[in-house]
Amino acid sequence: FRLNIDGLLVCFPYDYIYPEQYSYMLELKRTLDAKGHGVLEMPSGTGKTISLLSLIVAYQKAYPLEVTKLIYCSRTVPEIEKVVEELKKLMDYYTKQTEAKNDFLALALSSRKNLCIHPEILHANIVVYSYNYLLDPKIADLVSKELAKKSVVVFDEAHNIDNVCIDSMSVNITRRTLDRCQTNVETLQNTISRIKETDAAKLQEEYRRLVEGLTEANVARETDMYLSNPVLPDEILQEAVPGSIRTAEHFVGFMKRFLEYLKARLRIHHVVQESTPQFLKDIYEKVCIDRKPLRFCAERLRSLLRTLEIADIADFSAITLISHFATLVSTYNKGFTIIIEPFEDRTPTIANPVLHFSCMDPSIAIKPVFGRFQSVIITSGTLSPLDIYPRILDFRPVTVASFTMTLARTCLCPLIVGRGNDQVAMTSKFETREDFAVIRNYGNLLLEMSAIVPDGIVAFFTSYIYMENIVASWYEQGILENIQRNKLIFIETQDAAETSMALMLNKNKISCKRLFISFSFQPPVHHYGRAVIVFGVPYVYTQSRILKARLEYLRDQFQIRENDFLTFDAMRHAAQCVGRAIRGKTDYGLMIFADKRYARADKRGKLPRWIQEHLTDGSLNLTIDETVQLGKHFLRQMAQPFRQEDQLGLSLLTLEQLQSEDMLQKIAQIAQA
Amino acid sequence: MDEEPERAKRWEGGYERTWEVLKEDESGSLKATVEDILFQAKRKRVFEGHGQVRLGMMRHLFVIIDSSRSMEDQDLKPNRLTSTLKLMEFFVEEYFDQNPISQIGIITTKNKRAEKLTDLAGNPKKHLAALKKVVDSTCVGEPSLYNSLNVAMQTLKHMPAHTSKEILVIFSSLTTCDPANIYELIKTLNALKIRVSVIGLSAEVRVCTILTRETGGSYNVILDESHFKELLMLHVKPPPASSSSECSLIRMGFPQHVIASMSDQDAKPSFSMSHLDSTGEPGLTLGGYYCPQCRAKYTELPVECKVCGLTLVSAPHLARSFHHLFPLEAFQETPLEEYEGERFCEACQGELKDKSVFTCLACKKVFCVECDLFIHDTLHCCPGCMQTDRTS
Repeated sequence: FRLNIDGLLVCFPYDYIYPEQYSYMLELKRTLDAKGHGVLEMPSGTGKTISLLSLIVAYQKAYPLEVTKLIYCSRTVPEIEKVVEELKKLMDYYTKQTEAKNDFLALALSSRKNLCIHPEILHANIVVYSYNYLLDPKIADLVSKELAKKSVVVFDEAHNIDNVCIDSMSVNITRRTLDRCQTNVETLQNTISRIKETDAAKLQEEYRRLVEGLTEANVARETDMYLSNPVLPDEILQEAVPGSIRTAEHFVGFMKRFLEYLKARLRIHHVVQESTPQFLKDIYEKVCIDRKPLRFCAERLRSLLRTLEIADIADFSAITLISHFATLVSTYNKGFTIIIEPFEDRTPTIANPVLHFSCMDPSIAIKPVFGRFQSVIITSGTLSPLDIYPRILDFRPVTVASFTMTLARTCLCPLIVGRGNDQVAMTSKFETREDFAVIRNYGNLLLEMSAIVPDGIVAFFTSYIYMENIVASWYEQGILENIQRNKLIFIETQDAAETSMALMLNKNKISCKRLFISFSFQPPVHHYGRAVIVFGVPYVYTQSRILKARLEYLRDQFQIRENDFLTFDAMRHAAQCVGRAIRGKTDYGLMIFADKRYARADKRGKLPRWIQEHLTDGSLNLTIDETVQLGKHFLRQMAQPFRQEDQLGLSLLTLEQLQSEDMLQKIAQIAQA
Repeated sequence: MDEEPERAKRWEGGYERTWEVLKEDESGSLKATVEDILFQAKRKRVFEGHGQVRLGMMRHLFVIIDSSRSMEDQDLKPNRLTSTLKLMEFFVEEYFDQNPISQIGIITTKNKRAEKLTDLAGNPKKHLAALKKVVDSTCVGEPSLYNSLNVAMQTLKHMPAHTSKEILVIFSSLTTCDPANIYELIKTLNALKIRVSVIGLSAEVRVCTILTRETGGSYNVILDESHFKELLMLHVKPPPASSSSECSLIRMGFPQHVIASMSDQDAKPSFSMSHLDSTGEPGLTLGGYYCPQCRAKYTELPVECKVCGLTLVSAPHLARSFHHLFPLEAFQETPLEEYEGERFCEACQGELKDKSVFTCLACKKVFCVECDLFIHDTLHCCPGCMQTDRTS
């Protein structure tokens, strides 16, 4: 039906609307009006996607000059497919309503096999693709640089956006990378000498172009046509490519030298950590490589590859990586760190040197996005605490809001289990996590839950290693065997692809009985299950040097204390895990936090509002027995027949209900900044 | 069954419920409590029964009782199995009371096997005896939904098409051990027009949801013992017949009860035909019901004649199942604030305190919620109307 959102007529393709969707659209409209950025949190399963789509499409139709394009970024391929599905529904509705030909063009770019770089993208009104297309400088350059300034960018499922940003700007170099790079260099050399014999003019032409410099790109940027590439800093564009790497042979020689230097650096026996200026100084002293040519590395390589007409770029991934590294390391003084580790911490005897060039500041990657587009919306089911995202991404939002889920019945049941039946505190704190009593209590909790929860249970552990330890010890204590009498056990591997593969294969078994426990340590690729148990607080591995460097940086640059960030990170992870228990309003699920530390205000306060709301004093610091009692009661209550009529007027509204005065008042309370 | 409803005993429900209830009160009007929803559902049921629908009066029902390990759980007192069997006895009696021309059979499942306790039969005595015997058996292993459904299906598929074929599963376990793909079986059941309903004792299990949805049955999970009883009693009422089932006339005999006194010289004690296959009971009786077709003697009704196959019923039996076809009109619901008049219930004479009151459309008498349910579920006639009928 048609809705009036603050003066904007919005077509909504469903007969009913959730109150929070209406509220969400109001906030969204406000953000677009102000041409600013927004951070919006709304629980999963309440129709975020369709609210976003229908409002922005309506906005585009109403003010075609203000907003020309919607860029919708999601994380994974299935999520993108879901968005496309919703979009189709909306478009069908539009065609039905107006009976006119739809002139909207929507485009989805999902995986590589669907990759499209057709200029058509410039004319599409809606573009749906993965984060990387916008954030990863390597891909963004190909796909996104010509997107119009008056676009609205939406990052859906953005709770991990800072990590995506960091990953896109970080480079890890192993010995293997260098070896492959070596072969790349050799291939290049051969190709060059071959071309020289056959088509010397081509190289000559390239040389001439490089002398002229990258003025072309510069003009483009000044006229504001392109999205600026963070890898390609402004200064470069004003200069010509330095003479030392202008000819192809010289460049290859240059790369060779750089490569040798890196190889030498990897030959170490102790951990080295240094800043980018230190690294540059060292490289200048050792092999006389200046900062300037390094900066042009990425551009120069690309130009060379283009000139040599090499079709299969994938083969040259190693050297491309190195060239990116060279450009990044010479461009940014701040926000990056270089850590060279001779071996992994877990296996100190096996030499496996890695050079981590790690970005510590997520705002670097996302800055051009915020700078260029007039509205950027960051949204997810779990974004609490909301104020931290603007801080670490360094932007100023005009709207920050969290929406609760209006429910006709309390269909989620968060419980914090703090003690075993023997009153021993349950916690994954480092000092006590190997404690026999703690592990046994964790086992008992799972065993008891497996007897009362129907269908599936998903159990999360703080880390893969911890999971291995616990499961091994459960096996010895015979707990695992008892659990197996109630449920099938499915243990996820570290490889997400392998896991989803295994799930696919067993799907028949699982969907047939749906009696299984999944052990997992990362937000799931699947969501079967009536209960989610999080064992311990999923803190990241704090001994990692990269993390330490990042925490230090956050403290110095953004005044975020280490502990605050760690807790924030752990809680968003936990929230993400338990958030999967519920897929929609008619669904229900138990959320069990098995660690006494969750009961503390600093942890609890960082959970999303829609979970916190249902966390009463009666559900804190429970024993296993109490949990079983509460869980049993909850499951029975929820199994009672629940029809759509019960929701109507409370959590599901028709148009008339929506327009009533007191409902509008209620809706005003849903959003909370 | 005249004890006060289980839900009132808070100390048995566990300490957690006291603040649970408090919380629901505090949370204001936004969240309706589950109890409220339940109440609405209860009312709805009364209304649902009032369409002009064809009912499957001749029912063939198999009750599958889970007797696996989980039945030893003590959340029903003294344990799930004993409680279930007690309610089943009540159910069987009630079932034959309301459905005199129907049959019932009982299957138990444990240890991955299904065992037929009693075959389809129209005589409650045999079932009750069998149920009594099961009480002492131990609960072991896992149930097998597939096997037990299969056993029931093997018998039901031979039943004539005009009868209503039903299976009621009382399922306590959260797991089932199936030898083959149960979804295939569900398809077969659907094709045979067998309706499967499930009453869950612990929680909602997905396979049961699918099973009931596909076959058109109902799926409920109990809250406590009184709710369990309520759910079980729902299955006493005959379900609407599927429109595709054929109609046919059924021959029935209405035998007269012949009473012979001991003083009567001509009276000779004789065996009842129904004693032919049951052993141990004293067989010789004086009077009885004689089949109008073949003069075979039976001591109780309803029964299918062993000799000529005629269905023997008594007229009151048949009349009793009549109210299913012509149920009492639903009472009109009005909120208490809007109701003007004397605030006591016509039936129980108690004060009207609930949110709404119910008015009989015929006699304009007013009733409370509990009485409204009692009148519609049990009495099947309005006491107000009865009174006015008599006085006029």
